[in-house]
Amino acid sequence: MAKRKKKTVRRKAVARKRKVRWIRGIWRLGLLVAGVVFGLLLPWVIYLNHVVTSEFEGRTWDLPSRVYARPLDLYPGLPLSMSNLLLELNAAGYAQASIARTPGSYALRGSAVELFRRPFQFVDGKEGPKRVLIRFKADRVSSIRDADSDRQFDLFRLDPAEIASIYPLHRQDRVLVPLAQTPPLLITGLQAVEDRNFKHHPGVDWRGILRAMVANLKAGQAVQGGSTLTQQLVKNYFLENERTLSRKVNEAIMAILLDWHYDKGDILEAYINEVYLGQQGALAIHGFGRAATFYFGLPLNQLRADQVALLIGMVKGASLYNPRRHPERATRRRNHVLAVMGETGLLDKKQVSDARARPLDVSAKPSSQANRYHAFIDLVRAHLASDYQEDDLKTEGLKIFTTLSPWEQELTQKMVSQGLAALTEHGLPAGLQGAMVLADVSSGEVRAVVGDRYANRDGFNRALDARRQVGSVIKPLVYLLALEHTSDYNLMTMVEDAPLTLRQADGTEWAPANYDNVSHGPVTILEALTRSYNQATVRLGLNIGVSHLLRKLQQFGVETDAQPLPSVILGAIELTPLEVAQIYQSLAAGGYSVPLRSVTAVQTSGGKLLSRYPLRLLPQPRREAIAVLNYALTQVVENGTARRLSALLGSAWTQQRPLIAGKTGTSNDRRDSWFVGYTADRLGVVWVGHDDNSPAGVTGSNAAMRVWARLFKELPLQSLDLRMPDGAHWVWIDASSGKLTGENCNGAVQIPFVVGSEPAASTECLRAMGHGDEESFWKKWFEKNE
Amino acid sequence: MRPACRFGLAAGLAALVILLGACAAPGRTPHEEPDVDSRVRQPARADSAGVQVYSLKNKAVVELMEKAKDAEKRGHLNDAAELLERAMRIQPTNPELLQQMAEVQLGRKDFQQALSFSQRSYEIGPRVGEICSRNWRTTSVAREYLGDRKGSGEAERRAGQCMNTKPSSY
Repeated sequence: MAKRKKKTVRRKAVARKRKVRWIRGIWRLGLLVAGVVFGLLLPWVIYLNHVVTSEFEGRTWDLPSRVYARPLDLYPGLPLSMSNLLLELNAAGYAQASIARTPGSYALRGSAVELFRRPFQFVDGKEGPKRVLIRFKADRVSSIRDADSDRQFDLFRLDPAEIASIYPLHRQDRVLVPLAQTPPLLITGLQAVEDRNFKHHPGVDWRGILRAMVANLKAGQAVQGGSTLTQQLVKNYFLENERTLSRKVNEAIMAILLDWHYDKGDILEAYINEVYLGQQGALAIHGFGRAATFYFGLPLNQLRADQVALLIGMVKGASLYNPRRHPERATRRRNHVLAVMGETGLLDKKQVSDARARPLDVSAKPSSQANRYHAFIDLVRAHLASDYQEDDLKTEGLKIFTTLSPWEQELTQKMVSQGLAALTEHGLPAGLQGAMVLADVSSGEVRAVVGDRYANRDGFNRALDARRQVGSVIKPLVYLLALEHTSDYNLMTMVEDAPLTLRQADGTEWAPANYDNVSHGPVTILEALTRSYNQATVRLGLNIGVSHLLRKLQQFGVETDAQPLPSVILGAIELTPLEVAQIYQSLAAGGYSVPLRSVTAVQTSGGKLLSRYPLRLLPQPRREAIAVLNYALTQVVENGTARRLSALLGSAWTQQRPLIAGKTGTSNDRRDSWFVGYTADRLGVVWVGHDDNSPAGVTGSNAAMRVWARLFKELPLQSLDLRMPDGAHWVWIDASSGKLTGENCNGAVQIPFVVGSEPAASTECLRAMGHGDEESFWKKWFEKNE
Repeated sequence: MRPACRFGLAAGLAALVILLGACAAPGRTPHEEPDVDSRVRQPARADSAGVQVYSLKNKAVVELMEKAKDAEKRGHLNDAAELLERAMRIQPTNPELLQQMAEVQLGRKDFQQALSFSQRSYEIGPRVGEICSRNWRTTSVAREYLGDRKGSGEAERRAGQCMNTKPSSY
């Protein structure tokens, strides 16, 4: 008995010992867990908390700057053919449709175009969406009418094409939209579809996860996700897109922390701007703001319910439901979202059925196509470099308004490319390179730039960076300087086109020859210029002084460090096509120089004006001499070295016979071909040659002029106005003797003169009319009438 | 250089700059805004009765010019200049438009640009009548503010001659 008792006591003691050991074990385990929690997990949570708060607190997105073309002002009488308007619309991302039903679309109506303008916030105010019918007659706009009310417009401004974006390094494209400007249906619809309990859960929705698990188990595959909007934001914003348990744990912890620290509105706004919604080449489209323009060509607040539903649907899989690639799948997804909107009372039945009945209405291509017009964008960057850091352009979301004319740029690219290819038909080598600058004469606004025969190639930009000898293109400045010396020169002054030899600074001799290797003897200044005689020009230039010539270049806005050597007179000076355009702008605008401009204004992403680059006229002295020179340059085209231009222009010439001024240029050994030509409103400069500067067999008229003509025959040609300013006038001259004569006398031609430079001698015919040889006859007449 | 010398040199230069500034600006101070209406438009309208030359008007340009006038009346001169620049893209050689821009530049106290636009307007304009008078009166006011009193008087004289018709030199 006692033995049994002893046994029982021992058993109890063992049991007690076991119990103590077990409690001790649990205690130790508890301590271990607590140690792990406090030692590892807590610091991890603290670290994640730091990540969440520090990154989310000062959250900023790098926003690319948008570059816009000039807005096109349409008005009755505008010289613009229907085909050129279509070029403009296509460049601006307008989609052709059978009916122009949505902003950003157009339809052809016989000889008219119906278009639905997109709304746009201009520097000087907002233009809303509007559907109009534009009619054409003889390559001009004849009327613009409101397609709904038939009201006639005297002026109608199109929204400008977005021609480029300057992207941050991470290649994300985004338009920031504040929550307050987000359509309410997007905010509520997003929650209805993606996270119904968003307002109430603490960042993670346990019930949602459970529901998703059950649904997935039932279906035998993943059909439902349990991630909240907060978790999705955390995944996109902070984490990599890997499918691991640790990532899920981090996501949940960070979602809870985010929800704990921040307002639901902040989280939603971040989500709306962060979510991935598509891809354009290497660029990722993030946020609903950019997605709205990318898929519909519209700002977010202009979208209809069906369009909002499509974008919400795409959150589940932007690639899977890409409406351009998989329209049927995207339609099904959109309709599902619309159904959810109906179930949750966000839309009524009729709204849902109306929205479901609509086609996707996605633009055929993004309104902002991948960066085009590289050569022009280089010019924009160069223009802005003085006022903006490159980093600002990549991250601040600036709106940059430029002077580019999309239809003219498209035509210029095409004609340069085709024109260079066609030169082989005239015996010139294949593979010649070329560049062209097209500018508005009066405003100096650059309308188009081409820097490569393959315009879409983003590389060496010859229009801005190729410094090449300009040849005879510089000669007009020599003659301009002469015409400014009224006591010595006028267009009828004789100069000697005879051989001459000059000793140069290095001791070598230089004997310039004419292109045809013939010396033409005494010729008028007018003839020497129009025929581009080298020997006569060098003699004239030496009389004027080479340093004056270099100063004139600077006066016209071109910086050069060239030495004042006699060879400069014949263009042994290297300039870029853009610099040549700058020189001739001053001439073409009658001496009212304007620095060539590619940018007119810069706004912040919110629409606040940062910089304006307005038109500023810089009147040149002696504009009367420029007016006289302009006449001489029309003679280059009429009967000088560019006389074949009329044949190249074909019907564009014969229909109107416009006055065009121009100058050919060829460098030594026929390495460079230049042509500069201008009408009343357009100035075009073309260069053609080999990149390695090897002889190319080109001349100004056999290469560059052909390219110029190819483009200008497609442009409206406005005849030059040769009205003389104060200080110059037209005088009747006897063509053979260069003496003053009467209008009705034989051989009388009208030539402009700077007042005081008229010939002294008169013909017998004029004397018979009662006027004698009076040195300052015209001067006196002019002074009397002042 | 010792600090005292440096200070003396700086003070001397500052005095010289102030003195030169005073000598070079005998006209009105550029702080005063010229009253474009009373100094240009009204007198030009008054003495041009009977001699009027109107250029052909493009309705789009007229619409923009009217908007620019409204903006100018509201004192939004930069907006007015922007609207006129837009009109110039349509009709770059409309003398009336160029003259309106000259007057806006006068109001903005950009006297060099006022001179440039009024000169351009005169050169391509009719050179008689009201617009000619406005051209020269703008020139006169701009020169006055730029300190060129003689030139200003000469321009005033030319404004008076705008009523004498003269054969065009074309």
